[in-house]
Amino acid sequence: MRLAVTALAAVLALASAAACSSSGSSGGGSSSPPSTLVVGEFNPFTGPDAAFGPEMVGGCIPAIRLINADGGVMGHKMSCVQEDTRGDPADAVPAAQKMIATETSLVGVLGPSSDEALATVPILNTAHVPMFVDTGQAAFDHTTDAYFWRITPADDVKGYAMAIWAHQAGYTRAAAVFGNDAGAQSDVPTLVSAFTGLGGTIVYNKPFALDQSSYRSEVESILAAKPQVIFTEVDPQTGATFLSELQQLHGLLPVIGTEVSLQTPWLKAVNTAIGAASMAKYFEGMQPYAPPSGPAWQTFNNALLASKSQVPQPGQWSTDPYSMTYYDGVNIMALAMLAAHSTSPAVFDKDIMAVTEPGPGKTVVTSFAAGKAALAAGKQIQYVGAGGPIVFNQWHNSTGAFEAAKYVSGNVDLVGSVTAAQIAAISK
Amino acid sequence: MNTIVPAIGFGLVTASILAIAGVGFTLQFGVTNILNLAYGDIMTAAAFVAYLVTSAGFSVWLALVAGAAFGSVFSVLLNRGLYTPFVRRGTRLFGMIIVTIAVSLIVQNGLLALSGARFFSLKMPRPSSVHIAGMVFTTVQLAIIAIAVVAMLLIHLLLRYTKLGKAMRATAADPDLARNCGIATDRVIDLAWAISGALCGLAGVILVMNVTAFTDTTGSEFLIPIVAVAVLGGIGQPYGAMLGALVIGITTEVAAAIFNPEYKDVVAFVILVIVLLARPQGILSEIATRKEVAA
Repeated sequence: MRLAVTALAAVLALASAAACSSSGSSGGGSSSPPSTLVVGEFNPFTGPDAAFGPEMVGGCIPAIRLINADGGVMGHKMSCVQEDTRGDPADAVPAAQKMIATETSLVGVLGPSSDEALATVPILNTAHVPMFVDTGQAAFDHTTDAYFWRITPADDVKGYAMAIWAHQAGYTRAAAVFGNDAGAQSDVPTLVSAFTGLGGTIVYNKPFALDQSSYRSEVESILAAKPQVIFTEVDPQTGATFLSELQQLHGLLPVIGTEVSLQTPWLKAVNTAIGAASMAKYFEGMQPYAPPSGPAWQTFNNALLASKSQVPQPGQWSTDPYSMTYYDGVNIMALAMLAAHSTSPAVFDKDIMAVTEPGPGKTVVTSFAAGKAALAAGKQIQYVGAGGPIVFNQWHNSTGAFEAAKYVSGNVDLVGSVTAAQIAAISK
Repeated sequence: MNTIVPAIGFGLVTASILAIAGVGFTLQFGVTNILNLAYGDIMTAAAFVAYLVTSAGFSVWLALVAGAAFGSVFSVLLNRGLYTPFVRRGTRLFGMIIVTIAVSLIVQNGLLALSGARFFSLKMPRPSSVHIAGMVFTTVQLAIIAIAVVAMLLIHLLLRYTKLGKAMRATAADPDLARNCGIATDRVIDLAWAISGALCGLAGVILVMNVTAFTDTTGSEFLIPIVAVAVLGGIGQPYGAMLGALVIGITTEVAAAIFNPEYKDVVAFVILVIVLLARPQGILSEIATRKEVAA
């Protein structure tokens, strides 16, 4: 019996050794096709911030489409894989761990968002996964995480932009209506300091519990403080309930929202709740300035519109600055791999800076194809994306200007901008 | 002070929604002892039915009826098709809670798959404002209060003055004894699910009439206040749920007016804890807590 067991064990050991050997040779051999490189779309696809995920798909898919059409990266095709964080750290942490454990060809992620960044950035950084985050949390303004990259402005910068825009419009009394989630609350300190620094007064500033059945008491308290304008970042359901109750009880006041309020679900929910005419008259949203023009944007938009089978209603993301930056994030990773001659994140991560920063003698490229050709020709490149030039500082943050937009007849119309210089002047 | 009086008025609206939802929830538990944590998701499903009705050009009143009818039929089928087989196989109280959580996830994700994580609004006329005794209401909110009053009155008449009401109370108190006394408890339980399901559907529709924009999670996010109302009033006690709805509804709105609105729910739950410390069985509970699920 003992002999039989020993023999069986020996057979199993030989079989597994053979399997390992086979696996090893196929991975490194030239006969099998190269693996597909995976970009994780690490964002909420369900829950209160479910709008974030589709916005990310609107950037990732067009980028992958163009990269694969151009032969991929060193022979590897690329793909986008959705990883739903549900907007909750309790779900996001296991989702991150599962993604790292199961996606063996993971080369980077888009995200995390503010909902789960504090909990998951350390995990991704430790696992050497480059991340193009969409969190705006000021906690990452001076991060030393090597794999953290942010091309969207931090939330505290957003606060400066909103304050400047309101000041330019002549408002001196404002109410701050922000959700009690970490992302929204991180906007508030700089908004308050900048608005008061410009001579204004914040007459109401209390965090809102989200998705309540009523905000009528909050509306009464706000009205008692007599604001001229309302600054806001809340989710679509809360925004629709709050603003419709404000309209019913008093009539609307001018509202300046963050980029969250320029996302399609928010616009549609609130537009239905308060009516298109009121929306056009009273609402403005601030978002990173990414003008829908120029060769990089044109390339992005053409690829986006051609991705209808994978991106529902792709046109809704054409002017979305976040979709543009996700698109840019994928392109930057792909170009960094080419520059580093490696698909290993631990190797190419440092080249992310190299392919984006300006410099003398560098070739400016506005697409993956152009960048690939330039690198193949032995040139150094500066990638300028659909969202504009990207200049990372030492903490891997890149900040630009902001635009103000209105929602008129179903379209987001640009009405003005706050320059990077204005923001820099007030943030000193 | 000038914000407290309006806040009480606003609290009445919240209390009206909570009362309908809470009475339905507690009625289900009272008769069957199944703590149906899929309740909020069925509310959302009913809201989507109402959305389809108003989108087809019908009035919001018809949408209310359709939502209530959907909630009623869905709840009966859910009990007959899923909960009862589990109970008959000996699944106990805690096991049934897990089953209801599973149903909640299935319904919620089914709605998500169908709706695509978007926000919806019932198509109905824009309401006008009405000032009453220092309080401000919209016509929709007055309609919600009226619906709640009528629904609570009908529940009161049902429980107090009809044979079915007595049979439901008997089944709630002791299903075996009720069965031995000749009460067709199966039928009573079916009717309890139908009535509580109708209240659930009705609550879902008036909730989304009030919040104006809803998504696949709107009802489930409202479940915690509903459970709080039921627990505060004494789980299984419809009258207690009505009282609990008033306490929670008005407290949350007044708290939002006086304190930081972020903590409006916290204040309500502090009151809940204090009440339960004094009366662990809830304000009006008379039912023994050692019951098991009834089938």
